[in-house]
Amino acid sequence: MINIQSLTKNYGQMVAADDINFTVNPGEIFGLLGPNGAGKSTTINCISGLLKPTLGEIFINQHSVLSEAIKAKASLGLVPQDLALYEDLSGRENLNFWGQAYGLNGQALNQRIEVVLTQVGLESRAKDLVNTYSGGMKRRLNFACAILHEPKALLLDEPTVGVDPQSREHLLAAVEALKAQGTAVLYTTHYMEEAERLCDRIAIIDHGKIIAMGTVDELRSEIGERDLITLKGDFGKPQTERLAEHVDGFELIEWETDSVRFMAHQAAAQLSEILSSFPAGQVKQTAVQQANLESLFIKLTGRELRD
Amino acid sequence: MANLNMPVKAAQLRIKRVLREKWGLISWLAIPIIIVFLMSLISGSGGGQLTGKVLVTDQDQSSVSQFVTGAFNQGPLAEVFTVTEVTPAEGQQLMDAGEASAWITLEQGFGDALLENQPSTILLVKNPAQSILPQLVESSLQLLVDAVGYLQVLFEKELAVLKPMLTNQKFNDAELVMLTLGIKSQIERLESTLMPPQIKMVEQAVETAEATEQNITFGLLMFPGAIFMALIFCANSLTVSMWDDAKQGVIPRLASTPAALGAYFNGQVLAAAVILGLIAVFLGALGGWYFGLPWMKLPLTMVWLMFAGLVIWQLFATIALLMPSGKVANITINAMLFPLLMLGGSFFPMESMPAWLAKIGTFLPNGFLLKGLKDWLVRSEPWLDALMWPMLLGLVMLLVLWVLNHQLIKKLVYKV
Repeated sequence: MINIQSLTKNYGQMVAADDINFTVNPGEIFGLLGPNGAGKSTTINCISGLLKPTLGEIFINQHSVLSEAIKAKASLGLVPQDLALYEDLSGRENLNFWGQAYGLNGQALNQRIEVVLTQVGLESRAKDLVNTYSGGMKRRLNFACAILHEPKALLLDEPTVGVDPQSREHLLAAVEALKAQGTAVLYTTHYMEEAERLCDRIAIIDHGKIIAMGTVDELRSEIGERDLITLKGDFGKPQTERLAEHVDGFELIEWETDSVRFMAHQAAAQLSEILSSFPAGQVKQTAVQQANLESLFIKLTGRELRD
Repeated sequence: MANLNMPVKAAQLRIKRVLREKWGLISWLAIPIIIVFLMSLISGSGGGQLTGKVLVTDQDQSSVSQFVTGAFNQGPLAEVFTVTEVTPAEGQQLMDAGEASAWITLEQGFGDALLENQPSTILLVKNPAQSILPQLVESSLQLLVDAVGYLQVLFEKELAVLKPMLTNQKFNDAELVMLTLGIKSQIERLESTLMPPQIKMVEQAVETAEATEQNITFGLLMFPGAIFMALIFCANSLTVSMWDDAKQGVIPRLASTPAALGAYFNGQVLAAAVILGLIAVFLGALGGWYFGLPWMKLPLTMVWLMFAGLVIWQLFATIALLMPSGKVANITINAMLFPLLMLGGSFFPMESMPAWLAKIGTFLPNGFLLKGLKDWLVRSEPWLDALMWPMLLGLVMLLVLWVLNHQLIKKLVYKV
């Protein structure tokens, strides 16, 4: 349903997206994970037709975004990262406008407005001006505007940023419902738990390149069952490298002057042995994190996802 | 289907949002009305006639001096001036406060000097803050002085007889009869020269009398320019609001839908036409009623105002869309606004500007559109002569800027 082939986007010398390839199938939620500036938004903007790729092709519902833009866009819904609403109009008026932008009219539009208002739990506030809504309610309306026309493919760019738990639950449930209806969903987020809950497959993107892709289980298996250990303090690099060499199953992931990260099997059990190899007082803080997508991301990029 | 409905839907939304912003709408309408009202007050003329106050200090209190001061209470002068008798101190105080157009002082002995054919003085103080009314007082006094001079020459003997009568207030019947006969014989002697007049003045009405039916007052000269001011304020606000839409993320999101951005832009053009049209109708009707303009002219006046507003809107839209941000667009258009209003004849009628400045004004888009309207509406020039060239130029601007703006609007997707 969404097919990206060799997508490349250059801004002068800077490569924002570098030979990106993936497919999102009907009824699949595909997660695109990466830190700020990794190339997620560039990819989303190229798919939605806001940016023209330097190279490559993008197909939505088998229509090329470049050569059949109107047909491709008619099959696509976009939930932008920043709200895109008329704040001085009511929720219903906004839905009416965006419905017409997608070619809906009359009774069909009115029916769809009622359906999506119920889906996002805003039916009782539909007549109120958007500037009276909470942040979460605005996010839900932002989402509703993108699904009015029942798109075959849906792009969600960080849809839950700054959203209260109630609104987040509404949104995630709505995304799952769309998946059940056969919509192909491309989902970008910073929240690992959201990605692990929703996504059938995930691609990790950094510096414009996809550096890992697979199901959540496949990606986890890349780390094995190893935990992530983070030590804060003043460490020399040779000292941390010696430690990694002398302790079985230890792998140095990242070294900085004030922190160091290792991966290790059953880290909690070995923690006392690790700490004893440092002079007293050198380790200021210790954290052990069980294997998850976050630790995979750190392993692959040396950076945290929220950097 | 989406592309056909989209301009109408986008226009509806814009109009709805403008109408909800009641204070913005009220200010567009109220500011020009207030400015015309104030400027009319300052210039001493509104929609009606000039009126003024003349102060008189009559230190002579003779019949002759009362005849002179009474001249301002009679005939056409009485319709313009209110005469108030004052003491010298009161006169000085009122003139210092600028509360009168002129102050006339007749010194003691004025009447005797006149009857004895001696030189006499009338002291006139004019209000420097006014131009027309004090000049009118001076001209009227000059005529009066000339007339008195002729009387002194022609009726010297009769005035000599009249003087003791007026001084003593005793009228001898025989002397009165002699005086009357003397005046009659003098008039009969002059009759052959004065009547019938050797030069005959013929008054002829001009056929295109519409203009002469209405007095061209300062207020009337200002009124079309003031409506342009409302249109310019409105056009400024409407064009900059496209940047607000972009900032709210609406334009980038719209670019991801099948509806073209061009459809959105056409919606903004449609909304601008409707809103500017409403302003043109409201202010045009108000001005037409207040200044007593012929009702037959109002429909074309309103259409012209809407057309002019749309040309200005397209121009502002081009400037706004060329700018790198909404903030810069706002500052740039605001910086242009007041020179356009000043030179384009909205704050001061071009008729009251120095010729070279008025010439510059007619090269501005609002200036040439306003001049065309005034030539037809106020000066009653044939509509084809007055409006044809401004209309053609305006249409070319509309078309060129519309094409240009269709391209520029796409940049708002990335500029925010």
